[in-house]
Amino acid sequence: MFEIARYEGRNRLKGSVYLSIGMALLAAMVVWVYPSFSGAFGGDELLEAYPEEMLQVFRIETMTSLEGFLAFELYTFGWIVLLGLYVAYVAAGTVADDVDRGRMDTLLAMPISRARLVAEKFLAVGVPIVVVNLLTPIVLLVGSRLIDEPLAVADVVAVHLLSIPYLFACAGIGLVCSVVFDRVGVAQRAALGATFALFLVESLLVETDYAELGAIAPMRYYDPNEILLDGTFDPVGVAVLVGMTVALLVASQLLFRRADI
Amino acid sequence: MAAIELEGLTKEYGDVVANDSLTFTVETGEIFGFLGPNGAGKTTTIRTLLGFVSPTAGTARVLGRDVAEESALLEAKRRIGYLSDEPGFDEQRTGADVLDLHAAIKGDSRRAELLELFDPPLDRRVREYSQGNARKLGIVTAFMHDPDLAILDEPTNGLDPLMRQRFADFLRAERQRGATVFFSSHNLSEVRRLCDRVGIIREGALVTIEPVDALLRRSGKVIRIRSAEPIPTDALGIEGVHDLETSVADDVDGVDPSTAFTECLFTFTGDINAVLDRLGEYELIDLSIEEAPLEDVFMRFYGGTDDV
Repeated sequence: MFEIARYEGRNRLKGSVYLSIGMALLAAMVVWVYPSFSGAFGGDELLEAYPEEMLQVFRIETMTSLEGFLAFELYTFGWIVLLGLYVAYVAAGTVADDVDRGRMDTLLAMPISRARLVAEKFLAVGVPIVVVNLLTPIVLLVGSRLIDEPLAVADVVAVHLLSIPYLFACAGIGLVCSVVFDRVGVAQRAALGATFALFLVESLLVETDYAELGAIAPMRYYDPNEILLDGTFDPVGVAVLVGMTVALLVASQLLFRRADI
Repeated sequence: MAAIELEGLTKEYGDVVANDSLTFTVETGEIFGFLGPNGAGKTTTIRTLLGFVSPTAGTARVLGRDVAEESALLEAKRRIGYLSDEPGFDEQRTGADVLDLHAAIKGDSRRAELLELFDPPLDRRVREYSQGNARKLGIVTAFMHDPDLAILDEPTNGLDPLMRQRFADFLRAERQRGATVFFSSHNLSEVRRLCDRVGIIREGALVTIEPVDALLRRSGKVIRIRSAEPIPTDALGIEGVHDLETSVADDVDGVDPSTAFTECLFTFTGDINAVLDRLGEYELIDLSIEEAPLEDVFMRFYGGTDDV
């Protein structure tokens, strides 16, 4: 068991470490610019100049604290959008790339079921998802103390921990694309398009009559503002993300079982 | 129990019929050659046998298990070795890594023994492999778990002549051990050296199945002659000469090309001694006798058209 997951996971380790370093540098930069930003603007008057829709899309609630600044600059932009798209893209390559390059035959000629293969490949996407969350919390906790705006350890840990089910759900979208399309380029573009479209649907429709549409978007169930500003989170949201992930995985397995490769 | 049984196996891709109602059996312990030109549908049959594509109609069984039932087929796959027609390995990892993955999933009781015979550079990344090295790695993965049935798609593509010979000897030894080998090829001489029986597929349909010596008797040889002196064309008026083409070399004067030649090429299906008897009195520069190309075999015996 887990031979494929181990093998694929090892393949993903190096890239994941680079990704983790990149995101930690972004976090360090955000912390570093915050004091001059808050010194220049003081309150939220800058936000009042922005159109309401823009605040919605970027989920900006306040910039008067480091927490609010991070929620928008780092987590909405970096985690929800950038990493969400990245893991969807990576997952879209898992099955389709092997089919595209003729490697799938060699794998499936071994005594391993298609469902297990899909599950183990999906599991290996957990490597970047977990590794990217290891370095940034440390950078933030140390950095925030250096600028005398100390962040609560529990909140920072929670915001990263809870991003894991969110990112897995995004990876699930990519996985479905990976089994539906056998050309890897098409699968990856479809995954990026679908994930970004869900982000827009959730962000733009939130105050409208069509807000329910956003319920299918993983972005609705991960709220860095709530965690960092209020120190709370919605356990139902976490359960929904886990449920989405499982549903997308099972759907991918069923689709791949019946596919001609 | 037969190692492989196909019954009316059909695979259609839209309007294209890749496999058209194939019915045949590969017996346990034989080397069976699956022969046909490129694009005839050989790979589709093989990929159906391994469950990669599902048949449009008909059934197939490998080692007694229905290929349409995944769990049954998985049981069979523990005892099947497969070599795909393209290398199909993770290019960013080394050959050793690839073998370790295969070993973890299906076992590697014969790994060391196989690496003595076929020695891909295990420490190098697959990306840097030549076609021959990738093929050697594939042969090791196909046989490392000591399979009862080997299904090989164009196994000698990219191997140099020495390795081809070694691989042929290896397959014969496998047959001695009781293993069954099913392999596809578009190379008649390879099939001739190795197989007990041959199935020929053309445009998705099975043309014939016969023992390999019967096929070779019918397929003929290509004979090429260059002589120092003109040979009358009548000298080749013997039974079994087909498609005779003659010419006269530029540096030979005074020869009527319609009645004599110094160079000729023909396909021959008769007794080779008859040709040698006729040529014995002339001084030759060169004489070659080769297997007829598979394309010619199709043209001659199965009413092939230009597309083969």
